[in-house]
Amino acid sequence: MKRIAVFGYSIMSLEVMSRLNEDLYSFVFIVKDESEADWVAEQGFETKIIDFRNDEALKSIGIGDDVDIVFCFYPRDSDNVFLTISARAIDKALTIVAIVDDPDAAEKLMAAGANKIIDPYEICGRKTHDMLVRPDITNVLDDTVFGRHDLHIAQIEIHKGSSLENTKTSELKMDGKYNLILIGVVDRISGETLHFAVGEQEYILNAGDVLVVLGPSREIRSFKEEVEAV
Amino acid sequence: MLTRLIIYVACFLKTSPYYKNTKRFFYDLLENPDSRIKSRFDVVMICLVLFSVFLLIYEVDTQLTRIDVLIERVLITLFIIEYLLRAWLYNDVHKIILAHHEKASYLNSPFRWGEVIRLILSKKIEYMLAPLAVIDLLAILPSYRPLGMLRVLLIFRLFKLFRYFKSLKLFAEVLDSKRFELYTLAVFLGFLIFIGSTGIYFFEHSVNGKQVGSLFDAVYWSIVTVSSVGYGDIAPQTTGGRLVAMALILTGLVVISFFISIIVSAVNDRMHGLRENSIYAELKRYESFVIICGFGRVGRHIALQLQKHQQHFVVIDNKEVNALKARRLGYLVIHADASKNDVLINVGINNRAAAVLCTTGDDVVNVYITLTSRYLNPAIRIISRANSQDNVKKLYQAGADNVIQPFEIAAMAVAEYIGQPVAFEAILGIIREEKQFIMETLPVHSDSVIDGMNIAEVDFERRKLMLVGVVSANPVHRKHKNSYKLKNQHFYFNPEPYFVLRAGDLLVVLGREVGIAYFREQLEKSRYKSGRRR
Repeated sequence: MKRIAVFGYSIMSLEVMSRLNEDLYSFVFIVKDESEADWVAEQGFETKIIDFRNDEALKSIGIGDDVDIVFCFYPRDSDNVFLTISARAIDKALTIVAIVDDPDAAEKLMAAGANKIIDPYEICGRKTHDMLVRPDITNVLDDTVFGRHDLHIAQIEIHKGSSLENTKTSELKMDGKYNLILIGVVDRISGETLHFAVGEQEYILNAGDVLVVLGPSREIRSFKEEVEAV
Repeated sequence: MLTRLIIYVACFLKTSPYYKNTKRFFYDLLENPDSRIKSRFDVVMICLVLFSVFLLIYEVDTQLTRIDVLIERVLITLFIIEYLLRAWLYNDVHKIILAHHEKASYLNSPFRWGEVIRLILSKKIEYMLAPLAVIDLLAILPSYRPLGMLRVLLIFRLFKLFRYFKSLKLFAEVLDSKRFELYTLAVFLGFLIFIGSTGIYFFEHSVNGKQVGSLFDAVYWSIVTVSSVGYGDIAPQTTGGRLVAMALILTGLVVISFFISIIVSAVNDRMHGLRENSIYAELKRYESFVIICGFGRVGRHIALQLQKHQQHFVVIDNKEVNALKARRLGYLVIHADASKNDVLINVGINNRAAAVLCTTGDDVVNVYITLTSRYLNPAIRIISRANSQDNVKKLYQAGADNVIQPFEIAAMAVAEYIGQPVAFEAILGIIREEKQFIMETLPVHSDSVIDGMNIAEVDFERRKLMLVGVVSANPVHRKHKNSYKLKNQHFYFNPEPYFVLRAGDLLVVLGREVGIAYFREQLEKSRYKSGRRR
C-alpha cells in the first residue's frame, strides 16, 4: 500500500482521494488549523496539523520515510514551490504531484523537483475542446472509462519469467479469452513507445514491457493474476 | 372578371414557391445584410458607380464615342433595374390585394379598386421618398437628355455609394446621432453669418462698394472669414469692418473647435460599435465558428486549442481586462455581456455558430448564459463550466449538452497519473490524435452493407481495425452483456462475434487514421450502390 500526503484542502484534493482505491493507497491530510482538521476528519481522512515550512515537521509526517507520494495542492504557487523543494531535499525518490495556478509557475515547479504538474484550467480547456471536436468518443470515454462505470484502462507489466514472456501480441486474443481489449504495448527499453496492437508488425513481449488494456476491473484483476503467476 | 383574375394572380403569387424563391434571391442580393451575395453585389455596384462618374468627368471636355454612350446606357439600365427591384422588394402588393379582398368578403362589401390602388401607391411612394431611394432616382433622372440641365445632379451617383459602403453609412449615423448639437451649431453659425454680413455691409458698402457691392458679397465674405479660409479677395477697409472681421475670426475658431469636438466625440462613441461591426463582418465570412463566453483561464486554454486546430471562434467577455487580453492575442473579441439576447444574436448564434462555450468563473453567470443560448437556439451545442458540483444539475437543466468541472477533471488526471500513468498517457494520446492511432465513431446507416451483419462477418481484424464497442439505443441489444448505460443509450463494450449490428448503432473503433477513413469510404460506397439499386 502506498502512502500519500496531501497538502492543501480544496475540492480537488477530496476528489482525488475519492477516486483512488482505498485498498491500494492510504492518505494523510495536512491541514493548517484545528477547524480544517475537524472538517476533513469528518470526511473520514487522517489529518495532521503541521507547518509545511518546517523540514522537521515534514519528516514527522513520514516524508523521507513511509510517504511515497506528495500532493501539493495549495492555491498559491509559491507555497507549492517551497513545499516541493523541501520535500525533494528530504527524499529524492518521492513522487511529487503539484497543481499550478499561473502557467508560468509550471517551469519553476519542475525545477523545484516536481514529477508531474497539473494545470486544472489547461486540462479543462483541452477537455472542452475534445468534447467539441470529438463529442461521441469523449462522451463514451467520460461515461465509462473516466466515469464511475466499471470500465477501466489499466497497465500490466510483464515481469521476468511471466507466462506471457516471448508471446506474440497476435496470440494473446484477449478480447475473446478475457473480455479485455489490448490497446497496445509500451516497450520501456525503446523509450516508452507505444506499439498498437492492431495492424502493426508482430510484437514479441519481453520482460519489462507494459500492456495497456481496457476492460472491466474484475477481468483486469484476473488477467493480472495470470500474468504475474510465474 | 378582371378583379377575379387579379385576385387569382395574387393568390398564385402568395403560394408560388418560385415567386417566393425569386423574391428571396433578390432580397439576399440587394437588401439582406447577412448574405454573402450582397457583399459581392455591393463591390460590383461600387465599381460601376465609380466608372459612371469617371465617364461623367471624361465627358466634360471630350466628345463621347458611340461605345461610351452605349456603356453609359447599360449602366443607367442597370441602375434603373436596381431601383425598380428595390421598389418591388419594399413590400408585397399581392398581400395588400388579398388583405383587402378578405376584408371585403368578410364584410360583404364590394371590392374597391380605388382604395387598393391608393394603398399600393402610398407604400411605393413611401419607398420613393426614403433618402437613399431619392439619391438613386437623382442618379438616374439627369441621364434623360431632355433634362440636360439637371446633368450636374449626376454627381448624386457618388451618394449612391452610401448604399454599398458600411463605413459611409456609419458616418451618416454619426452625424444623425449628434443631430441636436449640430442643429444648435448651425443656428449659431447662421446667426453669426447674418450679424457678420449685415455688419460688413453696413460699414463697407458705402466706402468699399467695389468689393462689397451687394449683400451677397457680404454673406460670401462672412462665410469665407468665419471658416478661417480667408481668400483675401474682399478685405475690410474701415475700422468698423475690421472690428467685425476680428470678431468673426475669433468666433469662427470657436465654432470650428465646437464642430470638431462634436464629430470626434460622436466617432469615439461609435468606435466600439465600429469595431464590433468589423468582427460581425468577419464572422459572417466563416462557415462555422465557436462562441466562447468568458475569457478567464479556461476560456484562454480553449481558445489556444481552437487556434492550434485552426478553428474559428469569437470571444465574448464583459470584463475590460479580459477583452483586452484576448484582443492582444489577436482573437475576435466582443466586449459585452454574453447573457444579453442581442449580443448572442448579433454574433450569430442562429446563423453559423456551431457551439457556445460558457466558461466564466461564476456558475450563476454560466447558468444564465446557457439558458439564454438554449432559448435562442434550441439545436446549438452548449458546453458549460461548473465550478461547484452542486451546480452541475442546474446547468443541465438550463440546457447544457455537456458540463465540465475543472477540478474534477484535474483530480481524475492526478488519480490516473498515480495509478496508471502509462495507460493514461496512451489513451490521452489517442483521444487527442497525437499518435498515429485514433479512436473514431462510425455510424451504421440503414442502407449500409453492415446493417444486419454480425461482428464476426464485418471482420475488423482483417481491416486492421479494433472494435472497442458499440453505442446504441436499440433495445434489441439489451440481451448482450458488458453494457454500460450512457445518457439515452448503452455502450456495449467488446461485443461478442454474434452481436448483430443495426441501423442507428455507432461503432467505436480504434486504428490508423487511414484504415478508418478507408472503412468509412467503403461503407459510404455501399450506401451509394444500394441507393442506386433501389
